[in-house]
Parts: sequence; structure tokens; C-alpha cells
Amino acid sequence: MATKKSEEFDQVDWNEISRSGRFDLSINSIGMLVTTLPLVLLAVYDWQFLGERTPTFQFVGVDRGLESVDFFFIFTLLLAFWFLVLPLYQNPRMTRYYWKEFKQNRPAVVSLVWLGVVFVGGIVGPIVMDPPQQELLIAYQPPVFTSVVDTTPATCVGEVMNGRCYGTWEHPLGTTNAGKDVFTMIVYGMTISMQIAFITTTIVATIGISFGTLSAYAGGWVDEIMMRFVDIILSFPTFLMFLLILYIYGGGLGMFIVVFSLFAWGGTARYVRSKSLSISEEEFIKSSRISGASTYHVIRGHVVPNVASSIITQLTLLIPGFLLFEAQLAFLGIGDSTVPSWGQLISAGRSDLSFAPWIVLAPGIVLFLTILAFNFLGDALLDALNPEAEAENT
Amino acid sequence: MTSDDQPLLEVEDLTTTFSTDDGTLTAVDGIDFDVETGETVCIVGESGSGKTVATESITKIIKTPPGHIEGTVRYKGRDLLSLPESELRQIRGNEIAHIFQNPQEAMNHCYTVGWQITEALQIHRDVSDEEARAKAVDLMDRVGIANASSRFDDYPHEFSGGQKQRVMIAMALVGDPDLLIADEPTTALDVTVQAQILRLLDDLQDEFDMGVLFVTHDLGVVAEIADRIVVMYAGKVMERGDVLDIFDRPAHPYTQQLLECLPEFGGTGGGIPGTLPDPHDPPDGCRFAPRCEYAEEACRTGEQPEEVEVAPDQQVSCVHYGPGGNPSIVRSEGHGPGDGATGGDSEVGPADD
Repeated sequence: MATKKSEEFDQVDWNEISRSGRFDLSINSIGMLVTTLPLVLLAVYDWQFLGERTPTFQFVGVDRGLESVDFFFIFTLLLAFWFLVLPLYQNPRMTRYYWKEFKQNRPAVVSLVWLGVVFVGGIVGPIVMDPPQQELLIAYQPPVFTSVVDTTPATCVGEVMNGRCYGTWEHPLGTTNAGKDVFTMIVYGMTISMQIAFITTTIVATIGISFGTLSAYAGGWVDEIMMRFVDIILSFPTFLMFLLILYIYGGGLGMFIVVFSLFAWGGTARYVRSKSLSISEEEFIKSSRISGASTYHVIRGHVVPNVASSIITQLTLLIPGFLLFEAQLAFLGIGDSTVPSWGQLISAGRSDLSFAPWIVLAPGIVLFLTILAFNFLGDALLDALNPEAEAENT
Repeated sequence: MTSDDQPLLEVEDLTTTFSTDDGTLTAVDGIDFDVETGETVCIVGESGSGKTVATESITKIIKTPPGHIEGTVRYKGRDLLSLPESELRQIRGNEIAHIFQNPQEAMNHCYTVGWQITEALQIHRDVSDEEARAKAVDLMDRVGIANASSRFDDYPHEFSGGQKQRVMIAMALVGDPDLLIADEPTTALDVTVQAQILRLLDDLQDEFDMGVLFVTHDLGVVAEIADRIVVMYAGKVMERGDVLDIFDRPAHPYTQQLLECLPEFGGTGGGIPGTLPDPHDPPDGCRFAPRCEYAEEACRTGEQPEEVEVAPDQQVSCVHYGPGGNPSIVRSEGHGPGDGATGGDSEVGPADD
């Protein structure tokens, strides 16, 4: 079964996936449907049959709950797997080509590795590591290889020499004022960051691309109305809106993601529209129409794939904004303080900055590196996916 | 198949206008022509004379609005202009295929050339991927691409300009069209490749038994490929006829001057003074009158003159050949293209009637 499947995978490629004239589903869509179904069933089960406080997997004895954000996150991961990773595997030739182009950019390769670490940490970390426990006795442990005056921690876990408490591998990045392990919290924060990155990107991409292409192809007054709507979206004071929602409904992570991504697709839609318009003037669009292709076929098969390369870049560059914004809100104390995000950690450590700087610095540096990595990555993707942009520079 | 008395394509009084901010622009103004199975008809004229718009109006790929197409286009007896879009889609690519001027731009760089060749086939017919591939490889082979089966999975940027044009031809032929519309297919290519492509088109025409409507501004290409010529200027037909007749005895002053631009046909290689008239506001009378050295008062009033038969199957729209006109004004002054040539193979004389 497994071998047969991998053979099928080899035969399918992007070319075929985009062929929309006929309605046979690609292996990717089938895979997506098959894997989404249990997820939806699980979500419905969790929502309808389990109490608020009952963990989702109680029936198998695992004491861990899934929230709605987690369901969305898993859904976007599935999307990314079936429609991003698998196509790369199916079309090894283009993948090799992209990789060749991509790896010329050293910082981007390092960034990719770093983001890979954050991604894997965010997915695997919470599964293998216990959540950080409050242990007031071991508060303010210094990170490994560093030391603080031994009066800072209540009890020093490591060695005490010359009146200084040394850090240990038990708490490689130290502990917080509540004795929680900073490293564990950062790993848990990775999950939050990846959830923000994946879910916002999916929402923004879906709305932005469909809105943009629709607007470009409808033309006339439909286009006019849609674009004025985008203007409204772009000029909407999302932050105030979020504050309002926060005071009325309370602001969890899900609320943050939904509110901010629902008001962030304006730029993408506008970009997609202008790109679609310029692409629809291309000769190959005419050539496809002249071969008898329907408008739907032209858009799906020719316009969207050509827009995609620029959109991937644009979306990659959108993610850092969300991560930073979440951190800023958390730092200001707006938002759900139970969400173990990096921003919350920084926020929690800010009053202890003078004597326990690692509580702020560790997550701060991780946040900084992640945002930097996304920016480098976006830049490199532009070069790799859109050789024309590069050709113009040389 | 078409019956013998019915042309493959019959265009009557085709008028294409565009609404622009400056008013209505008339790109094609009531032209007629027809194409028979197996023959090559060339539409000739300088840039901006409406050749491309005319061919694109045939299958209505002009965007409407702003475009507006009137007249009749009968393909195998069916009026294409009155067909709904869904039926037109069945004809495009399947029965009437196009080749474009610039093969670099006419291909989507996201896809392999194989995908693009089979695209038209899979839109129209329910063929399996293997069949489509086999057919495309066969076509690529026939249009002269070496190692067709391995090049099937290559991307357009991996092909040279001439090879891309060959691929374009394969893309056009994949649906076994009965009419091939080639819009300046050799303009973007260098002369040696141009000759190869023309020869290829010629061979394929015989093989597929197609009618070919060939658009070009290059009379050198016309001489090589055409059976009949339609000379267009500013949206109107100036002259039409058999290729040899027109090259030997061009009747219309515009045709004469076009031929004179070609050194290889004994012309001086000079240009035609003046520019095309404003398509928003075409001149009264003959469109060419403002640039014509033989223009008289009669040329500048009324409509474009009726086409007059000056020789068997050669018609010209010029006042001087019409009733009350004197053809010798145009023909005797020694502006025939043969005059400068040493061979003197073209005999310029008064009209036969």
C-alpha cells in the first residue's frame, strides 16, 4: 500500500493540480479531505459532547485539551502539508531549482533553520514537555554559565560559591519570579508564535487572494465597490476595535488572531488585484483564452499561480508584524495573561529587569531572531520564486 | 467538412470599434474577406491598420466592452459573432487556433511546455494524461523539436526563441484546427529562423489541410507563404487579389508604395511619407488619400471607394479605377515596383478594362 501510494505521488505534479477543466480531485485534495474529516469530527465531539473543562483526549486517558485555536492550527498545518510541502516533493525538479536559488542567500538558510527549530519546538515541545510549574522556592534561578548574588533566588538549585548562585542545566535559561522554567516557557511560546503565523497567514491569504482576483476580474463598479471596501479595511482602527472587543468579550489568543487577520488582508487584496490585472494583460492569458479556456480556468490555472510567488513573499513579510504586535499587546498587559506567549513572558519579567534580566532577555532575543528570520526568509523567497525580479537587478 | 461552394471562413462587413475616453475608435471598418480550406490568405498592412484586431474579432477574443464587434463571421456556415460564449469556447483552440507574434510572452512560465501544449486538448476533449502526452510529444516532434519526449517536461525559459515559436505552433495544432490564424508569427524571430518557421507552417498546412489566415506587415514573408493577399489600411481593405497579381501589378497606390519599401522587390527602400490617420476621426473619402500622391478632390469626399475588379480576382478600392476614373494616372507614372529593378519582371500597364 505504501509503495503504491508513493508511486502515485511521483506521478502527480503541480501541472495537474492546476488543471481545473476537469473535476477529478488531485491526490492533494483527497489527502486534505481525508485528514480534515477526523479533525472536524473531533472538533464537533469536543464542542458538543464534552464540557468546557473536560480535556479533549480524556477518552484515551490523555489529560490534554484542545482549544478552538488548536483546531484551526492543525487545520492550517494540514493545508500547508498537502498544498505546500507535498507539491514540492511531487515536483522535485522545481524544488531543486528553488533550493539552488534559495541557498545562495546564506542568512536566509540560517533563518530557515532557526524557523525550523521554532516550528518543530512549537509542535513537539508541548507534547513532550510538561507545562511550566509554579515553584516559588526556586524563583529567579540564573541561566546556565551565569551567576547572580545568592540573595536573589529563594534557594539556589546550583552551586553557591563566594556568595554567588550559579545556573544549572536543570534550568538552562533560568526561572521566572514564580519559579517557572524560562526555557520551557519559550518552547511553549513557540507554539503560540507558530499558531499566530500559520492561522493569520491562512486567513489573510484566503480572503486576500479571492477578494483580489475577484475584484480584478469583475471589473467595473463591482471592482470599484470592492476596492473602496478594501480602503475601509485598511483605514480601520483595528487596535481600538480590538480593545473594544477585549472589554466586551475578553481577548484570548483566538480573538487576537481573528480580529487582526480579518483587518489585515486589505493590503494583500490590493496587491493581488494589481498583480492579477497586470498578469491578465499578458499574452499567455490571451493564448489560453484563445485555446478555449473558461474564465475560471484562466484565473485558477494561470493568474493565481503567477500571483502566488509574489504573494508568498508578501505573506511571509506580514507574519513578523503579527508576532510583534502580539508581543506589544502582551507587554502592555492587554490580552490574555494565561497565554504563554513570549510577549507575556517579557511582560512578566519587566519589573525584575534590574536583577533578573534573563527573564526579559531570553524571550526578547528569541522574538527578535524569529522576526529577523521571517524578514530574511521573505527576501530570499522573492529571489528564489521570482527569478524575474532578480534578473531585473543584474 | 465544408461543401465546395462555401468558404471555410467568410467575413462580411466586420467592424470593430472601441469606446475610449476620446470617443469611439474604429479599428476595423467594414472589411470582407474569406479563407478557403488549404489556402493561405495574408492580411498585409502597416502597424496600426487593424490587422490584429480583425483576426481577434473572428473568435471574439477582443474584450467587449470596451470593444464592440459588428458584421458577420461565418465559419463553416455558422455565424460566430452570434454564438454564445460557451459555444465560442468550443471553437477556440479546437477548430480555430491562433499563433502569436511573441512566443516568449505567449507562454506561462509557471508550467512546462508539455502542460501548455496539452492544455487546449484537455480543455476540449476528455483525453487521459497519457494520450494527451503522446499526442503532444508527437506534435513537438513534427514541429521539429529534437528529443521531444524529454523536452516535454522542460519549462519555456529552457527553449530558444525559434523553438518556442515551434512549441506555439504545436500548441495551436493540438486540437486539429481547420483554420489557423497566425498573427505575425515570425516577427520576433531572426531571418534564418523565420524562413524555417514559414517552411514548417507551409508543410503543416498541407499535412493538416488547414486554411491559414496570416497577418503580417512583412511583404517578404507574404511573397513566401501567401496564396492571396488582403491589403489593409486604417481599418479598410485597399486591395485584394492573388499574390502574384498583386506583386506584379499592384493597383492601389498604397500597395505600390508598400512594395516600393522593399529593396528585394526592386523598390527604393524608402518609407511612405506621413502617418496613419487618427482612428477616432478617419478622413472622408479614401483613407489613404492624405498620404497619396495621386489624390484628387474625388478621393477626399464621401466614403471609401467601392472595390473595383481590375483583373480577374483582383479588386482595388481606388477612385482612379472606378467609374469616371483614369487608371493610367496611378499606373503610368512609373511607380510600379518593377521599374527600379534590372530584371523588369513586373509589367506595369494600364488596367485591363
